[in-house]
Amino acid sequence: MALRIVIDVLVAVGFIFALAGTKGILKMPDTFCRMQASTCVTTLGVLGVVLGGALYAFCIMGSVSTGVKVLLIGLLLITINPVGAHAIAKGAYKNGIRPDKEMEIDDYRGDFE
Amino acid sequence: MSDVIELLIFAVAYAFLAALNFYRLMKGPTPADRMVAGDSMDVLVCCAMVLYSLFSGRGIYLDIAIICAMLGIVDTMLVARYLEKERGA
Amino acid sequence: MPKTKFPAVLSTFLLCFCFWILLTWSFETQELAAGAVVSLAAALLSARFFIHEKAFWLFNPAKFGALFAYVFVFLGELIKANVDVAKRCFGGCTDVNPGIVKVPVDLKGDYARAMLANSITLTPGTITMDIAEQDGKTYYYIHWIDVCETDREKAGEIIKGRMEKWVRRIWQ
Repeated sequence: MALRIVIDVLVAVGFIFALAGTKGILKMPDTFCRMQASTCVTTLGVLGVVLGGALYAFCIMGSVSTGVKVLLIGLLLITINPVGAHAIAKGAYKNGIRPDKEMEIDDYRGDFE
Repeated sequence: MSDVIELLIFAVAYAFLAALNFYRLMKGPTPADRMVAGDSMDVLVCCAMVLYSLFSGRGIYLDIAIICAMLGIVDTMLVARYLEKERGA
Repeated sequence: MPKTKFPAVLSTFLLCFCFWILLTWSFETQELAAGAVVSLAAALLSARFFIHEKAFWLFNPAKFGALFAYVFVFLGELIKANVDVAKRCFGGCTDVNPGIVKVPVDLKGDYARAMLANSITLTPGTITMDIAEQDGKTYYYIHWIDVCETDREKAGEIIKGRMEKWVRRIWQ
């Protein structure tokens, strides 16, 4: 029973961070800030579900293969997603997408053009 | 089927978050916005599939989630490369 | 094009074969043989693309220990940054002050640079946009959601935190 409470807490914490990230994606003022909010979804949102799910699979279901697969999905999502975020940020900047408000400091513009 | 109903509740909640991201995917003023929303939808759907698989005890959803995670990066990279070459929106 | 080396092929083959076993999770002879053939073909074709340096660097207790410790260091940074960004998101999303900073980085080797860049991207609040080399030094262009320091060196200290030291310890 205590184990189930631990699992619920892990998944719920993950859900709260995923909710924060989704609100950021919907409400943030410009493109790059939305990207920042989306990393919130892909880190702790995934990590909570994966840790809780692996705990559930190992200890309550008693199936090693399911637990290993869940951990594998977490590892895959966490190692692969920063590459996509980096590529999208660079592509968006080179495409000419700029925030509406002037940025505090922009070192990339001078060196890139 | 098992008696852990909270996993199902969280799976539905994650799917609901993915549906919220669909708004940004439809509206987003630039292609990069749409792509960010699509990427996070992909991740959220993966999480929902993991939770539903644990709830129902069927392993097939986990395999689908792995494939979903792998294909998600491919389309992101594709659109990013295209944006990088195509100047000026 | 770099040549295919034997240790690189061996390590890629082991990685692919472990992946195969994890996905199928059956230990019959036929399945294992099919997996060995497929992963050998994949290793021969693709080993030269992703292993350029030493293939078995992990088989060194000091480096493995450093990698293990880095996971916890990184988790600490991750949770701190996540709470920060989540507060901004729940607080109405107007409390942002974005900017792109050019940060000097003192690391050798492609893998170390890629690992630090991915770690920085994975912490919410910072995204590595590009890596440039000028005059023998390496610079990252980092998009930062809350620019509280415009001096490059000090901004680098704030962004990288303890991570750069640990990455250098892993890869050297």
